[in-house]
Amino acid sequence: MSSFEWSSGVWPDWCQGCGNFGIFTALRMALAEMGMDRKRVVLVSGIGCSGKIPHFVKATGVHALHGRSIPFATGIKIANPNLKVVVHGGDGDLLGIGMGHFVALGRRNPDILVMIHNNWVYGLTKGQASPTLGRGIRTKALAFPNINDPVNPILIGMASGYTFLARSYAYNAEHLKEVIKAGLSHRGAGAIEIIQPCPTWNNIVNMEWVAQNTQYLSGWDPVVASEDDLLKKMQEVMRLESMDKKQLGIIFENRFKETFEDRLASINGYYKDNPPARQRIEDEGSSLPVSMDKTFGRYMV
Amino acid sequence: MDVNVVIGGPQGGGIETAGMLAVRTLVMAGLEVFGDREYHSNIKGKHSYFHIRAADRPVGSIRYPVDVLGALDAETLGTHFHEVKDGGVVVYDSALSSKSLTRIPSLDPIRVERLKEDLLERKIGETVEALSQYLGSRGTQVVPIPFSKLLSEVLKFPNPLIARTMNTSITAALLTLMGVQQEAISKAVGFLFREKEEVAELNLKVVEAVCDFVKSYVKREPVAVRRRTERRLLVAGNDSVAIGKLMGGLRLQTYYPITPAADESFDIEENFELRDSAGNIIGNPVVVQTEDEISAIAMAIGGALAGTRSATSTSGPGFSLMAEGLSWAGNNEVPVVITHYQRGGPSTGLPTRHSQSDLLFTIFAGHGEFARIVLASGDHREAMADAVKSLNYAERYQVPVIHLLDKGVANCVTTTTLEERFEITRGKRFDGVLKEGEVYRRFRFTDDGISPRAFLGEETMWYSGDEHNELGNICEDPLNRNRMYAKRMEKSRRIMEEAPDEDKALLHGPERYDDLILTWGITKGAAVDALESMGRLGRRVAVLQVRMMEPFPGSYISKFLSEAAQVIDVEANYLGQLAELVRLRCGMVVRNRVLKYTGRIVTEDEVASSYERILKGEERIVLWGGE
Repeated sequence: MSSFEWSSGVWPDWCQGCGNFGIFTALRMALAEMGMDRKRVVLVSGIGCSGKIPHFVKATGVHALHGRSIPFATGIKIANPNLKVVVHGGDGDLLGIGMGHFVALGRRNPDILVMIHNNWVYGLTKGQASPTLGRGIRTKALAFPNINDPVNPILIGMASGYTFLARSYAYNAEHLKEVIKAGLSHRGAGAIEIIQPCPTWNNIVNMEWVAQNTQYLSGWDPVVASEDDLLKKMQEVMRLESMDKKQLGIIFENRFKETFEDRLASINGYYKDNPPARQRIEDEGSSLPVSMDKTFGRYMV
Repeated sequence: MDVNVVIGGPQGGGIETAGMLAVRTLVMAGLEVFGDREYHSNIKGKHSYFHIRAADRPVGSIRYPVDVLGALDAETLGTHFHEVKDGGVVVYDSALSSKSLTRIPSLDPIRVERLKEDLLERKIGETVEALSQYLGSRGTQVVPIPFSKLLSEVLKFPNPLIARTMNTSITAALLTLMGVQQEAISKAVGFLFREKEEVAELNLKVVEAVCDFVKSYVKREPVAVRRRTERRLLVAGNDSVAIGKLMGGLRLQTYYPITPAADESFDIEENFELRDSAGNIIGNPVVVQTEDEISAIAMAIGGALAGTRSATSTSGPGFSLMAEGLSWAGNNEVPVVITHYQRGGPSTGLPTRHSQSDLLFTIFAGHGEFARIVLASGDHREAMADAVKSLNYAERYQVPVIHLLDKGVANCVTTTTLEERFEITRGKRFDGVLKEGEVYRRFRFTDDGISPRAFLGEETMWYSGDEHNELGNICEDPLNRNRMYAKRMEKSRRIMEEAPDEDKALLHGPERYDDLILTWGITKGAAVDALESMGRLGRRVAVLQVRMMEPFPGSYISKFLSEAAQVIDVEANYLGQLAELVRLRCGMVVRNRVLKYTGRIVTEDEVASSYERILKGEERIVLWGGE
């Protein structure tokens, strides 16, 4: 299947040169190469330029609320774990208004991949500073240099319990595609920070800036080798993330943590084969033949 | 028989257990019981009490004055003695006798001042002993019981355990004084502590000792045990809704902890395995405690999109956070249920107290215009059936449904009939048939305005909070906008046309009436219970309980209202929100308003006396009964 078959035909209304085009391309390439079943792929997005991406992809799309794509996605995944659920959101959406949910996803570790379209600004509302914009930086719409410190999505992700963390670059579709494929293959909560130039509102982060301020990881093993290795690996990631240049590639992967679906199945044996969306709830227009004594005995008198 | 009992003590002192022991004993004796739990937003130390009414006919409210007061501490005596009828019974630990009634740190200073004035006016000293003499002089039977001495002599317990059985002791004593047989009390103790053998044994010994001691004080006729053949459920409203949701096919419940809603989610988790008569599991919901209420509504919507009957349960502050999600669900025609238990606002307000002040909020919450259903239950049986109906309505019309309850229903306990089968309607589903070249359109325009629904995973589809076309893709075309907008809004008219009358409103009492009490929610119970005494004033009185608040059955309600000489609105808020809604939807002004916003439920005697005052010409009555 070619990546064009993953286009919905809806015209992408992003600005010329927008990093979202690269993400759109890389995503379709990854889905095509992995031979995914489009009915089973659910893209859940927030609000902003990045939030529009599901409309352009020929897979199911849930264009949710600003900051709330993660809980929408979590509800979908819990109800039907057979779906491949992917979240798309901007840095403002996921790390500003939706930060609580971003942390909660890591704590639960469901099999959901989050793509953070990071352009350092709120583009659709004309360029305000986002939570990833560095202090002292003045992008063109700002009246003054930014007075807030930035957050590092990788480190917050790691502290929150994400089991797959990576960083890539929207203009390098080939690299991004490989990272997305790795993220989709990972079982558990994953986050990819995608450096996404915004040619309209972010006059700082352009191709030149990216060339000077990022480097592709080489010889770095992101995988936690054993459960005892976890702390060591996390310390190494801390060091990696404190370097001057942003590292591109798969940064962290922990395969030892149970997913939320596993955890639900461990307290509720019925869940594995009968997740909510697959349970029969009626019997010819009537409720199931539930035994009141065996189910609600403690209320009976 | 119609007896009202108050058992009070410090929060954390076992009042909940004491109350449930009394309730279960009286139920086991074959009586109809209604119990109201009142407690502070506090874990230990503040005053809490259980008001229990037992009668030989169904009751849906409490009534003052009370017949029996059981006090675990001096605060309970000082707080509630004025509610005891002359000739009633007061039981307490004789060790309290020398205690001061007014020097109690947990008692609110404002309440202390009021108590001092009251004691002064009645010429009562400030000790329990003095109060006891006063009550005795009014014909009240005062029974101070030397529990500590009695129990340590008879049972040789170490002292700390005596303190922990004080709740059982007081309850056993007051039940015995009411004429309840020891056997019934012991049975209930056995049931309540069925999972803790040692505790059960200890409490049974206590019951025996106390009953022996109190026997000689009993002045009442023994309560005859009525054998009942029909099986009933003894539930709080939270339990009722949980059972209804499980029977109604709920398979995903999300919640963020909040009083008085959280117990319902606990119940669903505890009863998570639905079993058939052979013991096989035939259903099993998932309950998720979310990081906030925004997430709770979002996850429930996600579950609903995947084809799972999904709901979230909350109270006012949580519902405030859900408003944006509600609007998304309205725009995307999502069958999601929000169970809303009202408590006292604004803001944190009275977090553990009753209120009916979110009626207008639930009807109008959410930006933009969209169809929704708000269904308000008036008692425990309705709460269960309405939980199922809410899930049915949501899927049939593809709209968000708010099942509106209040702390009164949530926390009051009573018996309700056992129903084993409920109707389930899942609404219009996509049949999987597409013509050559046709794609599935989630928001397809149809004659009846309802698009066939496919679940996520069955087809490729789009949802968007933005205005969208039939496919679900963003669309700002003006003509599509008009059509799609109307498609959503017209559902309200269709719902009103198709909803059965019993979901719109219920008339209680005579079909032909002179005066009509207009009410809703738990307040209905007090109004219905007051029918008998109101009827004695020579006019025919009926109660109209409104159930469907949105879409509002304006013409159906108007018909009832226009037949009454006097309409009296009774509800637990300041404005008279139902009366305001009637003005908006029916164009009729209901001037007589009986309102209560203390956080305590409206009682039968309050409705009866207010009706009398309205007949004498008062228009607005503000109630304040109950501690």
